[in-house]
Amino acid sequence: MINASALFGSLLANVEVSSYLPILLLLTIAIGFAVTNLLASQLLGPKRKGNVKQSTYESGMNPVGTARKRFNVRFYLIAMVFLVFDIEIIFLYPWAVTFPSLDHEVSNSGIWLGRIVFFILTTVVAYVYGYRKGVFKFD
Amino acid sequence: MLHLLELLGSSALATTLASTDAALASAPAAGGGVIAAPMWASLIVALPLLGAVLSTLMAVMGVRTKLPALMTVGLLAASFVTTLALFLQLQGGPAAGLKLYDWISLSWGSGAGQTFTASFGFDFDHLTLLWMLFVTGLSAIIALYASEYMSHDVGPGYCRFFFAFNLFVFSMACLVMGDNLLLLFLGWEGVGLCSYLLIGYFYRKPAAVAAAKKAFIVNRIGDLGLLLGILSTFAVFGTIEYTKIFAIIESGVLPNGQKLAEHWANWVIPALLTCGAFGKSAQLFFYVWLPDAMEGPTPVSALIHAATMVTAGVFLIARMYPLFVSDPHLIVLSVVAWAGAITAIWAATIEMAIFDIKRVMGYSTISQLGFMFAGLGILSPVGASFHTFTHAFFKATLFLGVGAVMHGFGGQLDLRRLSGVAWMRGFGLVGIAMLIGSINLSGVPFTAGYFSKDIILADAFALPHGQIWGSTAVAWILLITAGMTAYYTFRTYFRVYAGPKEFVPGDDAELLELGRHPKGVSIEEWHKQHGHGHGHGHSHGHGHGHDHGHGHDHGHGADKTATQRVDFDPTTEEFDPHPPGAAMKIAIAVAMVLAIAAASLYFIGPKGGWVAGMIAQSSAALPESVATHAGGDHAHGTFFGFDPHKVMYYVSAIVGFIGILIAAVLHGPRGWQGLFVGSRTQAEKSRADAFVTLFGPITTAARNKWYVDEIYDWTIRTPLLVLGHILHFADKLGVDGLVNLAGQIPRGLGRAFQTGQRGVLNGYALSMAAGIAVLAMIALLAST
Amino acid sequence: MIEKIFTLWPEITLFVFTCVVMILGLSRSLSVRRLCAPLSAAALAIAGVLALTTTPDAKGALPHLPLFVKVLTCAVGLVLLLQLAGTADRGYETRVARGEAFDPLRSTRAEFYAFFLFSLTGLMLCGNASDLIWLFLALELTSLPTYVMVAISADRNSAKEAAVKYFFLGALGAATFLYGFALIYGGTGTTDLQGIHAALSQQMATGGINSIAMAGLVLSVIGIAFKIAAVPMHFYTPDVYQGSSSGVASMLAFVPKTAGFVALILVLATVGWVSTSPATHGQLPEPLHSLLWIMAALTMTVGNVLAVMQNSIKRMLGYSSVAHSGYMLVALLAGPGPEGASLTRNGLSAVLFYLIVYAVANLGCFAVLGCLEKTSSDGKSEEIDHIDDIRGLISTRPLLAWVMAVCSLSLLGLPPLLGFMGKLPIFSTGLAAGEIVLVVILGLNSAIAAYYYIRIAKNAILEQSPVRPAGEEIRDAAVPARQFAGIIAGLGTVVLAIIPISSLAIDGGTFRHSRSGVTNSPAQTLPAPVGSAEPATADAPTGPVADATVPPTIAR
Repeated sequence: MINASALFGSLLANVEVSSYLPILLLLTIAIGFAVTNLLASQLLGPKRKGNVKQSTYESGMNPVGTARKRFNVRFYLIAMVFLVFDIEIIFLYPWAVTFPSLDHEVSNSGIWLGRIVFFILTTVVAYVYGYRKGVFKFD
Repeated sequence: MLHLLELLGSSALATTLASTDAALASAPAAGGGVIAAPMWASLIVALPLLGAVLSTLMAVMGVRTKLPALMTVGLLAASFVTTLALFLQLQGGPAAGLKLYDWISLSWGSGAGQTFTASFGFDFDHLTLLWMLFVTGLSAIIALYASEYMSHDVGPGYCRFFFAFNLFVFSMACLVMGDNLLLLFLGWEGVGLCSYLLIGYFYRKPAAVAAAKKAFIVNRIGDLGLLLGILSTFAVFGTIEYTKIFAIIESGVLPNGQKLAEHWANWVIPALLTCGAFGKSAQLFFYVWLPDAMEGPTPVSALIHAATMVTAGVFLIARMYPLFVSDPHLIVLSVVAWAGAITAIWAATIEMAIFDIKRVMGYSTISQLGFMFAGLGILSPVGASFHTFTHAFFKATLFLGVGAVMHGFGGQLDLRRLSGVAWMRGFGLVGIAMLIGSINLSGVPFTAGYFSKDIILADAFALPHGQIWGSTAVAWILLITAGMTAYYTFRTYFRVYAGPKEFVPGDDAELLELGRHPKGVSIEEWHKQHGHGHGHGHSHGHGHGHDHGHGHDHGHGADKTATQRVDFDPTTEEFDPHPPGAAMKIAIAVAMVLAIAAASLYFIGPKGGWVAGMIAQSSAALPESVATHAGGDHAHGTFFGFDPHKVMYYVSAIVGFIGILIAAVLHGPRGWQGLFVGSRTQAEKSRADAFVTLFGPITTAARNKWYVDEIYDWTIRTPLLVLGHILHFADKLGVDGLVNLAGQIPRGLGRAFQTGQRGVLNGYALSMAAGIAVLAMIALLAST
Repeated sequence: MIEKIFTLWPEITLFVFTCVVMILGLSRSLSVRRLCAPLSAAALAIAGVLALTTTPDAKGALPHLPLFVKVLTCAVGLVLLLQLAGTADRGYETRVARGEAFDPLRSTRAEFYAFFLFSLTGLMLCGNASDLIWLFLALELTSLPTYVMVAISADRNSAKEAAVKYFFLGALGAATFLYGFALIYGGTGTTDLQGIHAALSQQMATGGINSIAMAGLVLSVIGIAFKIAAVPMHFYTPDVYQGSSSGVASMLAFVPKTAGFVALILVLATVGWVSTSPATHGQLPEPLHSLLWIMAALTMTVGNVLAVMQNSIKRMLGYSSVAHSGYMLVALLAGPGPEGASLTRNGLSAVLFYLIVYAVANLGCFAVLGCLEKTSSDGKSEEIDHIDDIRGLISTRPLLAWVMAVCSLSLLGLPPLLGFMGKLPIFSTGLAAGEIVLVVILGLNSAIAAYYYIRIAKNAILEQSPVRPAGEEIRDAAVPARQFAGIIAGLGTVVLAIIPISSLAIDGGTFRHSRSGVTNSPAQTLPAPVGSAEPATADAPTGPVADATVPPTIAR
């Protein structure tokens, strides 16, 4: 029989536990944020009941009925515009993290900046396109 | 796209291009020539090509003016000026080469003879320049002439005409200037195509279409020989570039190590090339297409079927002369000499009998081409080239004159129905031009034709016995032909241009319109009434209530049932000859002046004239080994003990005058202070007609072209037709059945495969996945 | 790495113009919207000039490939643009002209042109690819816009259906070759093509290619076969061609196919055409060899045999596209031949040249279809497609009829047209590589192909117009640019056959070094990148980065 604690211990022995601390922190905050909010709304919010209020929230859709229902194409458009910004964030974040650590002595630090500017510009084009296409109009 | 790709080639691949192909890398950048010709020399080719493109565009755009003609004249004149400038630059120097690009480059191995390259490049040696000078010069003049001559057809037809005209000059330039045999072949086929297009220009006229087909088919037979010759050249020499071939010939040792003098190539290839030359230049039994080709518009006959294209055969032999003389026995040249002589006298007999003046000129061309071939055969490339050069001008003059008559008299070409044309109003220049052309053709002393013919005759007599088989007999045949030539030339002249003013208009509806008017009304008034503005040419319409397309019967004696043509009724109508306009007159005058001036070429330059100098500097010059025996002052042959080169001046002049005298006696007008005993009061009646009846059936046979066409029908066409039917039958029974059977196989397979193509997405995806799996399995199994 | 950007000027240009076109196409003003097509043309023209002037030779086996691909893309792209004119939004714009308010959401013009340029950008990037990831992205950038273009190319359900099929099957194909790429990475430890080449060379020298890498290569080839429409990934071709408008169909026949062949060349060059003895030509490793052999044979046969059965010209051309890929696979299989081989012995040159040949002739055929509309009795008008629709075209539209005839005969490979000039090297390279059986199959297939190509030509120029049902009528589509495209293509098949683009553009030099580095000599055990195995001056790059050194790949 395998000694579980020994195995676990040997695994831990090779890993600096403190390096996982930020993740633990993040997890705690995330869970805490969600729990706190739910609790707060439960405790602080007014409690009026009704058919609509008590039905499941499905982004404004009626949750009961056939699943093969047509719904407004604007949802897709919104989702796609969201993707534009989502992707922007996905790329911006690691860039921002690594940028300070880059070797600025090398002449191409400007290029590193230029690259991200170029990238932002492309997302701006996407935004302008979405705007011109009328994605943000609700009528 | 093209430009981009060119840039692509030059910018990035230039270095690799030069080094990839061993054969290419060894070729000098200047193409074949010793020195590089200037780039602008390519304009000679480019301008006519541009003209062809523009003509097409004009046809598409529906241009209904003389614009295509003006453009053509301009471009061809520019092309001529370019040629002239190039000539002045290269004169006296070595041959220059200009390589535009690699046209075809194939290799199927790295050994000798396994790489085939043909460049689109030019070789400018003096032979080429000689040819190009008269090709471009005459084409410009004749384009000017045609601008008026064809003007009754302004519109799409006019564009079509000048398209083919330009394409012809382009092809001819490729033929003459190309630095390899394949480019020559391209030009050769190109001129053949244009000839076909232009003979069949009046495509509603069955005779023209038949003539076009005939020309094309007869030429194909010759072309087969040419093609085989080119292929054998490549097989033997491993190249088709002139400079390389000539270098091999000069070294005398073929790439395979054998000596050329002992190799079959020294007579087989020339024989094959000669076959091609005979076809294009209408020699021997190939001649049948050329008389029929006179169905084409006269400018075409003048340029293509008299001055330039038909001399391509002469050019081919002159171009490849080193190969022809590399045979120690000179077998092929003997054949060429005899073929030329026989053709010359053969055609002359027919000319003496027939009445259609345009066909007389056609046969005369065949006959004169015979002279040129005989000249090549009896080791006188100078004579042949000089005669080609002078003949181009005087025969063009004659054709242009005939064209003016045809144009003016409603398409009338029968010399029995025309008389005294030279005295008619507006036809004076035509009369003079015809006289100039006629004395040239007849060999009257001190004309260009006289000198050029003399060189051939003298060289033929001067040739020592045995070098060319039966050269003396050839010489005698040519001398007799010269006399006959003088006779038939002046027969036409006296009949048509001299004599009392009489004529019957022809039956060409459109041409008739130029001069017809009701009785009692002068033509000026008639045209004024009908708003034609006579005197301003006739580029604008002149039809009265009938359409202008090709709806009419357009020629003489063909398809009378064609649409609503208005028959000329002599009881109510009159016909005034329609004199040539300014453009035609200028063209005739220039051609005439050049025909006269060509004589002076005999006196400039080295001994034997300017052309002799040109030829001496080209590849067509006789090599020393042959030349010591032939021609020159060391001639062995004599003319009754005299030096032929001295005595022939007098002999040929006398022969020519005898011919003219007979013509004058039989056909000449009465009068001239009784100098001539001949008399003729009416165009239809002549002492000549009584005279020729003495020959009985011989004349009839000659008039019917010795029934050659009929003989062809019976010996070649009918058997082939029968064979064709038999084969067709066999084909239907056997081969078709097999083919149909084979055709079922793909269909069956298709039906099998089709089951997989049902258009269902899931099915596709499944099939693809299965395919991936199967293929991957196969591939991975193959690796073990 | 930044130097690489300076080799991408044409792509950057196209991208910038794409952005502009995408925005301008949504303008409310018709005149601004109309700028899309001219701007796209300007983009292609500028990119073409930039490609000519700034493209340096690529490092590695195929120095001139980027230049060739970029220039070809721009040149053919310009003609394609003519042919695509009037495809997007035609119905919608007429409604707008009748007074309907312009709604950018309903307009597809901007997307159409932008996606067209995107796709071409992707194609250009393919030629530049030096890395598997780059290659994958470029291939997908080429393909993804075409899915949408198929959907919006015609106002009918079959177009939507075609787009959906194309998209899903395309995803399957992409997944296949992406898996292949991943396996190659797994088997060699790098995604850099030169690095892969070095690793595979080493593996070959020391006991054979890693089976994971080999599986990767096999899957990559099969996956990329989707782009070139080769068996077994060809199923979508006829449906998609028929469903989309003729302009988009001809684009599908050129753009993804070219990208696919470029990708195949790049991928196969990593393993190389190995010479088994100094006397013989190189050959691919056995698994790839048999794979391509089977694919080529099947692709030709399936394509031609099924084309025979068709009455729809677009389907016919779709199957013909399959068949032509099979022909090109033969030359691809033959490989670059001996060092410095010219077009007739260099299979890769033959493939690239054939791409031009095929593009031109195919464009012409589709352009003619795009020029004509059939109006049925109920007033609907649709692009012609049925073989009967072009019957007797000669009497009404001689020019188009001749274009159709000349182009289809060029596709058949009839001398002296361009198609013949293209097919000749394919035959000769196949023979030179010793693939006698495959060449015989190729010959038989050409014979089968004659049936339907001649059928098209015969219907166009030799037949009389049939009596059409009442109300049915063949009319000119009101897009003169398409006729222009057709005429350019028709002239191209004739003129380019005379002008020796074969020797200018892609003769020997392009693939001079393809086989270097991969030999059986045991001495060469060190993984040396191909590019470094030859003197640096040999390639003589012309661009601004002449002396750029390529840093170690996958450094980060």
